[in-house]
Formats: sequence, C-alpha cells, structure tokens
Amino acid sequence: MSKKVIMLSVAVLFGMQAGLAMAANPDTGPGCGLGKLAWADYKNQKNIGPQVLMATTNGTFGSQTFGISTGTSGCTNDGKVMAEQKTTMFAQLNFENLSQEMAQGQGEHLASLATLMGVPAEQHAAFFAMTQERYTSLIKTGEASPVAMVKAINDAIAMHPVLAKVSTR
Amino acid sequence: MNSKPRVFPACRLYIVLFLFILFFAPAPLAQAGEPPENTYLAELIDKGLHAKLASAREWHLLLHYRKNLFGGHTSEQDDPGFFMSPNGKTDPQAELDATLKQFFSDELIGRSKQTAQCAFIARYEWLRDQLRFDPTRLPPHPCERFERWFADFEAQSITLIFPSAFLNNPASMFGHTLLRVDQRGQTDSTRILAYTINYAADVPPDAGMAYPIRGIFGGYRGYFSTIPYYLKVQEYRDIENRDIWEYRLNFTEHQVRRLLMHAWELGNASFDYFFFKENCSYHLLALLDYADPDLHLTDEFLFWTVPADTVRLVASKPGLVSGIAYRPSRSNMIRRKRESLPASEGELAHRITQDLGELTSPAFVQLGLTKQAFLLDLASDYLRYRIETTDSPPPELKERNRAVLTARSQLRIPSQEFTVVPFAKQPELGHKTSRASVGAGWRNNDTFEEVSVRAGYHDLLDPEVGYTPDAQIEIASLTARHYNRADQTRIERATLANVLSLSPIDSVFHAPSWKINAGMDTIRFGSCQLCSNGVLNGGIGAAVESHWLKREVVFAFAEAEANYSRAYKEDHRVGGGGTVGLLSDLTDRWKLMASGTYLRYALGDKSDDFRWFVGQRYTLSQNLALRLEYNHRAHDNDVMFSVQAFF
Repeated sequence: MSKKVIMLSVAVLFGMQAGLAMAANPDTGPGCGLGKLAWADYKNQKNIGPQVLMATTNGTFGSQTFGISTGTSGCTNDGKVMAEQKTTMFAQLNFENLSQEMAQGQGEHLASLATLMGVPAEQHAAFFAMTQERYTSLIKTGEASPVAMVKAINDAIAMHPVLAKVSTR
Repeated sequence: MNSKPRVFPACRLYIVLFLFILFFAPAPLAQAGEPPENTYLAELIDKGLHAKLASAREWHLLLHYRKNLFGGHTSEQDDPGFFMSPNGKTDPQAELDATLKQFFSDELIGRSKQTAQCAFIARYEWLRDQLRFDPTRLPPHPCERFERWFADFEAQSITLIFPSAFLNNPASMFGHTLLRVDQRGQTDSTRILAYTINYAADVPPDAGMAYPIRGIFGGYRGYFSTIPYYLKVQEYRDIENRDIWEYRLNFTEHQVRRLLMHAWELGNASFDYFFFKENCSYHLLALLDYADPDLHLTDEFLFWTVPADTVRLVASKPGLVSGIAYRPSRSNMIRRKRESLPASEGELAHRITQDLGELTSPAFVQLGLTKQAFLLDLASDYLRYRIETTDSPPPELKERNRAVLTARSQLRIPSQEFTVVPFAKQPELGHKTSRASVGAGWRNNDTFEEVSVRAGYHDLLDPEVGYTPDAQIEIASLTARHYNRADQTRIERATLANVLSLSPIDSVFHAPSWKINAGMDTIRFGSCQLCSNGVLNGGIGAAVESHWLKREVVFAFAEAEANYSRAYKEDHRVGGGGTVGLLSDLTDRWKLMASGTYLRYALGDKSDDFRWFVGQRYTLSQNLALRLEYNHRAHDNDVMFSVQAFF
C-alpha cells in the first residue's frame, strides 16, 4: 500500500535517529536533519515499513514523536514541531496533496502552506496562481527535495511584484 | 613558648565545639519548632482536609478516580509516575497530601521530568485556587516548557473529530475519535495546521494475532499525543478512505486552557488500553469532563464506549456543539463528482487515467476550460485513489498522475468549489448501539416466541442512517426461544461476532467484499428436530451497486463453513460453497434483503445444504424498527415477526 509511501516519509523524518547516528552526520540541523535526509535514505527505510504501517492506526509513531511532554525527539519538542521546521516538514509530509493542489490552483494544503510562508489570506489567490504557473519546475524540484521546493517558492515570492511586498516571513 | 601550644588545643576545642553546634544544632531545632516550609505544608494539608478537597469532583477528574463497586476509589491511570503517593491509585486523600508536599520540591518527576508544579500543572492551579497558596511561603515555579507548548497551540476552541468506521482494520471497525485544538485566526482552509489530541494504544509492530486479544483485555498501553491534523486527514481521508465528521465544541477560553493543562499532565500518564471501554473515546471524554466538570460524560459509560455513542452523547448536550463540518473521504468525493457528470464525461475522465492520448482527443479538447479542469481533477483523484490503495503501485500510475496534473496546471484556472453530500448521514442521527427485540412466529409445525439481545452494533437490515453503508458488525448477541407445541425453551442463536463488508465494485473501485461469522444456531437435521449447531463461516466476494428502484446492492460470496453438532455423524462437517444476495432500499424506511446459499460438506458428515433468506425492515423511529424474516433450509421453514428497539 502506499500507506507505506506516506508513512515512510514520516519514518524518514522521525524514525531516523538510529540511522542518523550511524551515518555520522552530526551537523544535520537541530536534532532533525531534515535537509540532508530528504528522500535519499528512502530505500534503507524499507524495513521500517511494516512497523510504521501498523502505526498509522495505532499511533506508535505518534505516541513517540508527538507524545505530549516527552522532551525533544527529532523534529519535535514535547510533541510539537519545532518552529523552524514547521514549513519544510509540512511541505514534505503533504507533498502529494500539495502537488495536486498547485496544479488545481487552490486547496486547503496550498492555503496552509501559504499561511506558513507568511502570505496573508487576501493574497492567497495570487500565491495559488503563481504556484500553478510554476507547477512543472516546482514539482521537479520538490520530488528531489521538498526543502528545495520551499526555497524555490520563497524565491518566487521574493520576485513576485505583489507577494514580495505583503509576505511577512 | 609553652603558652602557645597550650592555647592552641583549647582553641581547637572551641572550633570543634562550634562546628559541632553548626552541624547538629538544626536537627534538635527542627524538632522543637518546624521550619517554615513544613509548617505551611501542615497548614495546607489541614485546610484541604477541612475543605474536603480529596472528595471533590475536580480532584477525582484530575486523578481519574472511579468509584469501586464495593466502596472506595481506584484510578484508571496505570503509570505509577502519575501519583505522588505510593497509595495514590486508591487513596485520594493520601494523594492530595503527597501532592501538596511535592509542590514544595524542585525534584524532577514523572516521565516528563519536571517539578511537580509543572508536570501536574492542572492539579497545581486547582489546588492553588482552592487553598489560596501564599506565593512567599510556597513559591511558584516557572513552567517554561508548558507555557511554550501551550502558546504554540494558539488555542481558541476544541473540535471533536470522528473518522467513521473502517472495517478493513479491526482496530477501527467502530470508528475513532480525537480532539482538534483550533487555532486563533484559523480558517476553513487552514484548519489542517491545527494540532490534535489523540489517544491511542502503543501496539508493537509484530503484534499479529495477539493484537485483538491483548487489545480487548488491556494488554497494551495507551498514550496521548499531539499529531498535526494534516497527518490525521491524510491517514483517514487519503489512505483509509474514511469520512470525517468535525464537531466544534462551545468551550470558553478558560475551559480550553483547563483541557490543555490536563492534557499536558497526561503526558506523564499511560492507561491500560481496553478496546471496548477504556479506548480513545473514553479518555477523550475524561478530558472534556475536566474542561467542563458539569458535563458528566464519562459517567454515562459503564461497560463499553463506542466512538459513535460518544459523538451522540456530546451532540445531545444542549449548547455544547456549535457547528458540524463534513470532510469526505477521497473515494466518496470521486463518487459524488462522477454522479454529477453525464456518463460519457465520467468515462472520459476514466479513459484519461489509462491513456494520456485522450488529452488531445476531440472529445476532450472541445470541452470548455472549466469542464476540462473538472475532468482532470477527477482523473487525478482516480489515480491517487489507485496509488493509495494498491500494494506497491506500479510507477506508471504516479507518472500518469504527474502528466494529468501538468496538463491541469496549464489550464491556468482555479478549480471550482465542489460540495460533497455525504452518503451516510452524521453519526448522531443513527440508532443507538445495543438492540433488544421480541418476536413471534412459526417453525415447521410449531409456534414460538423469542427475545433477543445484541450488545452491538449494526447489521445489514438495521436502519442505515448514520452508519457506514453496506457494512455489518454484530458482536455478542443471544436469542432465547420458547416453542409452544414442543414446550421447550432453548438458546436459539448466539453470535460471538458476525462481520460483513460489501464494497460495490466498478471501473474505479475494486475492493473485495468479505464476511466472517462465529456463533451457533438451531437446526433441524436428520432425526434431530431442534439441535444446537456451532458455526464458523468465512467468505470473500464482490458486490455491484445499481439504481433500478432506489438503491440496490447485489453480492456474491465464495465461502467455507465448519459446523459442530451432535446431529451430524462424527459430530461435525466441513465444506464450502457460495452465497448470492440482494440488498435493496425500497423507501427511506423500508429495506429488503434476500439471499440464497449452497454449501457442500466434504469432511465429517458428508452432506449438503441449500438455504435461503428473505428479510424486511421497516423503520418506525430512530431507535425502533419492525422486522419480518423468513428462513428456509431443507425440511425447515421459519417465519418470524419482531419489534426491535435500540438502547
């Protein structure tokens, strides 16, 4: 099932502490290592698959990663996504929905991404039009690395005649 | 010269004496008059005793105490780190005193490793307000971790989320409930960014067959977590294709804060997870009860807590629900979109998913831009449905979806809002979970009366409002009958579990239908007139939906069955065969089901069995229905009329 795909991406994000330590990459950001991980280790995560799969309904990954007042783990702190990871994590975990909505020029995932990126609600339509126009290149970037896609969208906002002025982040 | 050495010993003596006093004086002093800290503690304990705080409802909610059958209290909480007193699980007073004592300490406690004031912040604030703590004598600790966690919610209100039943996973057969913490400034299109409060069992990956047993008898631990709502939406809407209902609750900001403070404390808690009672729904109700102690939600559940029941209960409290929103599953969205199209356009959308060449076909190109966009969106939904529900989906599905979306992006117009009307009405409109019925009828040359009780939940002929269509889960039912001429009273039928899922198949949806049944019934076989017969039956098949009259589902199963009865040679028989049937809504209230089964038993008592069934239901009200049922087997005819009430 493609439950695997989505939950693998969760595994890539969260289940990697052990793998990370072995990969000897200490400089992977604030305990999260999102940028380096991306989809590169996808194949190595296969063995985690069934475990995470099970977790979808019974909350194994949830109770660890998002467990209330459990301290710091991966990208989360006491169960909350760290502020500096919010946007990239959202982009990574919702990539399929985002790519569909970018093509469609609207949708709640896209509106949520715009909000996370500081685009005020009254400019969402302009944001949607912009991501629709750049769909092909954004998705190509995003398939390699959702982090790079967020960066590309940020750059596009900066060059946009209207969005650049109103965006708050 | 001599005087010096003489002075020194004396001096040393004084120093030793001074040090001695310095070290040991405080001990006798404390015995004489306690340090201010302890006197204040004693004062607070005394005050708490006078105010009878240990028997206050709030204290019992905070510690999850429940009255024992024979007096006393026991907490449902199972993590020793949740209590300050070693007897805390069963002694509310000892726990209260120990808690007050621990508030004076800087020690980091519990799983969350904080001081007691912060780890159990709801207890602290409640006791602070009740006993009016003097901040100079009991200095408050700064709780930065809690404050950061709380601020990050930007909490404004609470929404109860109900993902409907999903039969293909035993853990979610009855649906699930969770809470969403809605953010200030959140809109309909950004609510997926909110966090949820979710309670779930921590099930090891290799649980396998142990899962249902341990799940039912409390073999797993349940924990609370704050999974972002967008992951939950993905899980239910995209992967499992379950409709989601959202009930906005009317809580004040103060109540929302109370709820979150207690949720924070539950980070230190774990409960033994009991699938039927102390499950997700039950513990969420406990949180709601603490937010508003006047609600008394958990009091209403004694034996089991079914998610739909909790929704019904919450919806029944006047003024508690301020709005209901529906979030369709992807599969239902596809169904409704397809229904809205002429057949030719629906087929065109489907052809696009198989052959991208259709994108340049005249049939597609001649359509208006809005229509083209609609068809491409539908095609992409088809493809994503296939990708999400197929084991290791072929890569070309994903490539085709990309191509469809690329074509869609080039139209340069936004998709229009499409409102999906739910197939199943909201759960609180459905019948209650348990059912009792009385009936009378004829069997062969005899007449009978019967009474029947079923713990849960829904069968194919029950009123379908609020329930997942074409799905049946019967758990624990028992029927007793009195035969008048034979003058015999007997257990006529018993069901341990009888689960059946029909999934209508078409060009897009290919899920199989399946059924499984374990129980006993009463047969007439050979020389035995009324014989108890154990049944184990399982089958896999397919269903098709049609709309000749209103709505019909035709189904067929291939199945295997094992019987155990002393009526058979060697007491048993095992065989296989098939069933065909029809389920039909004749009107909104009137439903009909007919089925025929042929089974051939090759092991044990070599025999065969041909049976058929016709049943009808007429709904009188939400919780009242009439049934007329006819069962036929070889030389065995059974007609019964009954009245069924849900409670």
